Amino acid sequence: MREIVYDVFARKGRGDQLVHIGYVDAFDDETAKVYAWKTYDEENWFEMCVVERDAIIPVTNGEGHFAQLKRARDE
Amino acid sequence: MSDVLDLETLDGPGRAALERLILTLADSKRLMGIRYSDWLLGAPSIETGISASSMAQDEWGHARLLYSMLKDLDRDPEAYEHDRASEAYASVSVLDDEMPDWAAVVAAMTLADGALSTVLSSFAEGTFETARSRVPKMLAEEEFHSSLGAAWYRRLAQAEGEARKLLTAATRSMLPALLAWVGADDEAARLMVRAGVIAPAAERLLAYRHAVRDLTALVDVDVDAVEPDPAWDPARGRAPGRPSEESVERARGDRNRALFVE
Repeated sequence: MREIVYDVFARKGRGDQLVHIGYVDAFDDETAKVYAWKTYDEENWFEMCVVERDAIIPVTNGEGHFAQLKRARDE
Repeated sequence: MSDVLDLETLDGPGRAALERLILTLADSKRLMGIRYSDWLLGAPSIETGISASSMAQDEWGHARLLYSMLKDLDRDPEAYEHDRASEAYASVSVLDDEMPDWAAVVAAMTLADGALSTVLSSFAEGTFETARSRVPKMLAEEEFHSSLGAAWYRRLAQAEGEARKLLTAATRSMLPALLAWVGADDEAARLMVRAGVIAPAAERLLAYRHAVRDLTALVDVDVDAVEPDPAWDPARGRAPGRPSEESVERARGDRNRALFVE
């Protein structure tokens, strides 16, 4: 069964920064939402969202996490 | 919103009917949690196992809240939680035994947990004030269970071969007992309907069939053509039989009895 990697972003309070808190493997958007909410439940998050890793476009070409992942994917 | 039920107006049979309703919901929640917990380490992925763990905790939290409603009837919830034999459990019969495979867990997540939510929705909209205040939060948490169950149900239904066969078999096996449980229409259930505590059986069944119809159609099961199982134990509000002894030992916390902190 094909799994898709979704990165998980969340903020604790209304004025806090949205930060990358982890990832989940899921087979569609619905399961990604549930897995993210149930896996990263250590905080009472004000906002949480998931995004398919393939949809993230690195802006810099440096050694950043997502740039490295994209390079590995493209090779 | 309907008027609030004055418990002082309930006679003996009315109080017994409300106690039965609370117990069948609470016991079913507790057993649902056990069935999720059976799959913490056997689920198809780490994420699914973590979700099963979280859902098990949700169900046990809901059970605790439901048992505590017995205080309104001057009953001691602790005795119900920890001191009953398996033959006294009022949980819906499809949860009596461990699920044989993941497809059955998915069917239970969708059809059994969905049946609980249908009856709880009715309970939350009724005249019993404690249910009105406590059940909506349970139903909000249940949205994640429903969402995950539906996604997995669709996935297995669309799969080739064994997965679809197992899901179909589990669906056919569970539905008659669940329809009987959701659509309970014996004297105790009718007392609760007359008191405005829950909706009439026909309305509950309509809501349940509506909730699961599109999913069961994916495995060629027409929920409108499935008849409720006629086997019924009116004393407990469930089918005859009982949960496995091992499940009830876990539900009661037998191994940790000396360590209980209330």
